Amino acid sequence: MLPRTPALTRRAFSLLALGAAAWGSASLPALAAPAEVRITHSMTGGAQKEAFDAIVAAFEAAHPDIKIKQIVYDDDLYSDTGLITQLKSSSPPEIYFQWAGAPTQRDAREGFAMDLSEALGAEGWKDSFIAPAFSQQMGVLNDGKPYLVPITLDVTNVIWYNKQIFKEAGIAPPANWAELIDLTKKLAGKGETPFVIGNQELWPLGNWASHIASRVVPPADYEAAFRLEKPFNTPDFEKALNLVDEIRQAGGFNKDIAGLGADPAMSTFFQGAAAMHPIGSWLVSSATELAEKDFDYDEFNTPLIDPAHPLKDSVIGTLTGFAVSPKSQNPQQAITFLRFFTSPENQVKWAEAGSFSPVKGAMEKAKLDPKTKAMADLLNSAGSLVPPPDTTYPVEVAEAYYQAAAYVAGGEKSPKDALVWLDDRVKTMRK
Amino acid sequence: MSSNTDARPRTPGEWLQFGAGSVIVTVMCFPAIWMVYSAFKSNREIFRSPFGLPAEWRFENFTKAWIEGGLGALFLNTIIVTGLGVAMSVFFASMAAYAFTRLDFPGRRALARLFLVGLLLPPPAVAIALFTQLSALGLINTLWALILTNGAWTIALTTYLLGGYFRSLKREMEEAALLEGANRFQIFWHVVMPLVKPAMITVAILNAINIWNELLFALLFISDDAKRTLPAGIVRFSGYHSTDYSLIFAALTITTIPIMIFYFICQRHVMRGLTAAVAE
Amino acid sequence: MTGGAVKISSSTGATGAIRAGATGLIFVAPALVLYAAFVLWPLASSVYYSMTDWDGISQARWIGFANFERAFADKIHLASYLHVTLYILGTLVFEVSFGLFMAVLLNSDRPGFALLRALFFSPVVLSMSAAGVLWTFVFDYRTGIINASLKAIGLTDWAQPWLSQPTTALLCVMLVSGWKFAGLYMILFFAALRRIPRHLYEAARLEGAGPVWSFCNITLPLLKQNILVAVLLAVTGGFAGFDLFFTMTNGQPYNSTEVPATWIMKQAFDNDQLGYGIALTVILTGVVCLISLIYLRYAERSHVVEY
Repeated sequence: MLPRTPALTRRAFSLLALGAAAWGSASLPALAAPAEVRITHSMTGGAQKEAFDAIVAAFEAAHPDIKIKQIVYDDDLYSDTGLITQLKSSSPPEIYFQWAGAPTQRDAREGFAMDLSEALGAEGWKDSFIAPAFSQQMGVLNDGKPYLVPITLDVTNVIWYNKQIFKEAGIAPPANWAELIDLTKKLAGKGETPFVIGNQELWPLGNWASHIASRVVPPADYEAAFRLEKPFNTPDFEKALNLVDEIRQAGGFNKDIAGLGADPAMSTFFQGAAAMHPIGSWLVSSATELAEKDFDYDEFNTPLIDPAHPLKDSVIGTLTGFAVSPKSQNPQQAITFLRFFTSPENQVKWAEAGSFSPVKGAMEKAKLDPKTKAMADLLNSAGSLVPPPDTTYPVEVAEAYYQAAAYVAGGEKSPKDALVWLDDRVKTMRK
Repeated sequence: MSSNTDARPRTPGEWLQFGAGSVIVTVMCFPAIWMVYSAFKSNREIFRSPFGLPAEWRFENFTKAWIEGGLGALFLNTIIVTGLGVAMSVFFASMAAYAFTRLDFPGRRALARLFLVGLLLPPPAVAIALFTQLSALGLINTLWALILTNGAWTIALTTYLLGGYFRSLKREMEEAALLEGANRFQIFWHVVMPLVKPAMITVAILNAINIWNELLFALLFISDDAKRTLPAGIVRFSGYHSTDYSLIFAALTITTIPIMIFYFICQRHVMRGLTAAVAE
Repeated sequence: MTGGAVKISSSTGATGAIRAGATGLIFVAPALVLYAAFVLWPLASSVYYSMTDWDGISQARWIGFANFERAFADKIHLASYLHVTLYILGTLVFEVSFGLFMAVLLNSDRPGFALLRALFFSPVVLSMSAAGVLWTFVFDYRTGIINASLKAIGLTDWAQPWLSQPTTALLCVMLVSGWKFAGLYMILFFAALRRIPRHLYEAARLEGAGPVWSFCNITLPLLKQNILVAVLLAVTGGFAGFDLFFTMTNGQPYNSTEVPATWIMKQAFDNDQLGYGIALTVILTGVVCLISLIYLRYAERSHVVEY
């Protein structure tokens, strides 16, 4: 609603995924009245919508007894009121677009989304997806049962760097954390701003800082802390925030990190005024629109921190997908469509339209532009996926952790003090 | 205000007074002047020399801002919301003010006090409850959400301002009309309305400025870009295009100029209205 | 904030009012319906929702006073009242006092002064969001004109990330608020100054009193009522303050510019806790009503407001 924080994040994420056409293509009526499957989403136009329409047309040709009807809303409208009014109505649409994590879990609890265990278990459907998609932390599951068919993966944080500045400084993307600190010192020594982050809304650094913590803190402890089952003030979390503090001590952050907006920070990066900018994959589409033509950039993932940690080579990202309404008219036909949509052939088309498909092999087979290809490779090389806390855990807890990280990055509090503050902060929140 | 301008030569003290006043006013106006001329610059120029005048006056910035910002739609929405909101508020308030000051009816005192609450209540205090209520009514994402709420939120102040004006009017004409057998409604329409017209114009202008600039409700109740009003649209636009300073300055300039022209045309009304609002 | 009226109408003004019975109600009805539906009713329903745990989508769950307990333990929430108090004190300096100073300075019939007054007043009619966006650019660390000016006159070390430091961010918002609203207070005081008989000043001058003496002993006492009204405007306006904070800092850095309005909106809409957010609005309403009541009692005694 407010064009801030998670709403903005959501918007930015979905820029990749979405885009104006009205109702789906009509097919010729079969002899018997066809079963109607209504799909509501927020793809209003663009390549993805075209690919989706093409897949829908192919499906209708193959299944004359099923007719697809698309109900399309603008992005913000969809997440604010568009979806919820449909779900609460007496005849909800068969299929709806949703975010993994807290929204999907809420829908599962409220009975808006159907338990897909049986459908996904049949004929190896579930196994056609990359394994991390159904990992506990990604939020497709509720009580161990899947409620969402994942369709798109969005990376929410990688480190983008200015190739020219790196070249002039004689540095290359780091292989581990120590190298990252070294190159930060080197850049700061040359008078460059190593990192620009616009942290007014807390999630830009917060996302990164939680990715760092997920690589340092044992996964169970990390999850427990964000669920308020264990304290944050542990040596492990302190170690994680110490890493953020190392960057600060190396002169890594822009001076106005605490008050700068996320978008102005990206603009600073495009202007060549900073060497690195940690943010999500949506930077690629913004760069096409807003950066100068000769602006040359690339990305690397948060480098190796602890070789012994199970998530040492993780990527942070969110999943979106389609859920099925149990109260709708034709849930079985809906599942038939979703199986068709997530078939490897169709997912290659889906990937070529600019989505990061979570179906095995789709990204490898798809013909992609270099930037997207690089991002796909990064995802492929990832041993695991970590979701950002603000889509997975209670938002206020995630925000409190982000705030603690902001304190450390600004030099306002030591890592230890920030964690003491954080535990005190979450004390008042309901579990 | 300067009608009886003093023609004597100025004393050094008066020169000092004028000089100090001019300096302060110029400094205060500078950011706005900077905004206007920066709107003609290219992005690179703004980054390289924030102060310098544009090397080349780029009028195309304005066309681009108008199109990309959808400013036409924003203006139209704002005009609709402001127009209907003001009309509703001023017309209803003048009826209520007439009743409160001229008529005696059961519950008059209690109702007048109820309106008092609205003078002091900050809008954030009910914004969320209002949001849920408007959702239940299905008005979220419609211009009605803004028209009705802004109308309602300005009604208390408008009633009190007009009440004050009614009290300053003589009753003779109304009494004469009453003796001639006119009913209350005829009196209100034919006798009272023409008399309070100047005050109505003043409060209408005040309300127009307030509603035109309203941000909080506009942010909360409208999520559809096509239905936004200017203040919310500008926040949205500058967030999304924050990489493009010249575009934002152009959009800010386009949206600020009309209200400034309006102000300088209606200056007397605006100032008189505000003075009446507080000083009486 | 613009033009909050404070002259409270006196019901005694209706002596000799026409007995109108139900007709009077008909005249009041349209205004009353609108006002009740969109001001009073949400206010009343807030009390119910403030005692629920509600995300705006699922069924609201009754939890009694738990939201209020949480609100009084929520340190950022409590700090937001400290910040708004500081902000109001700031507005008393940058809006009311500065406005009064300018009213005295620009109080002249000489040519040019009317224009200066009109220009000084003009920011009042600008939208807060445009002002907020503009000033965010003015204060920008890298490209803002404040830092550019400092560098231009050789004070490079003075350049600060103004909106990113807890020590300066709130002050910046106060300054912009002053820039925006000083003109309003100027015009209010100016109108009052015009009503002070000139012979008072002339008499004082003949007895050898300077302008400062005249200001303290003639102007201030005679403007007492206007000043009290201005203070009430600044206080109620301060609690309603949202736009500038939202556009300039959004509560940051480190929640140092978090005021009740910004914090409430974050709880309700970013964190999907409408129940808790509404409880916070009930507290805000309570605080504003309490302050207004105290003020009205005081003002009644000093005859600022007839009631």
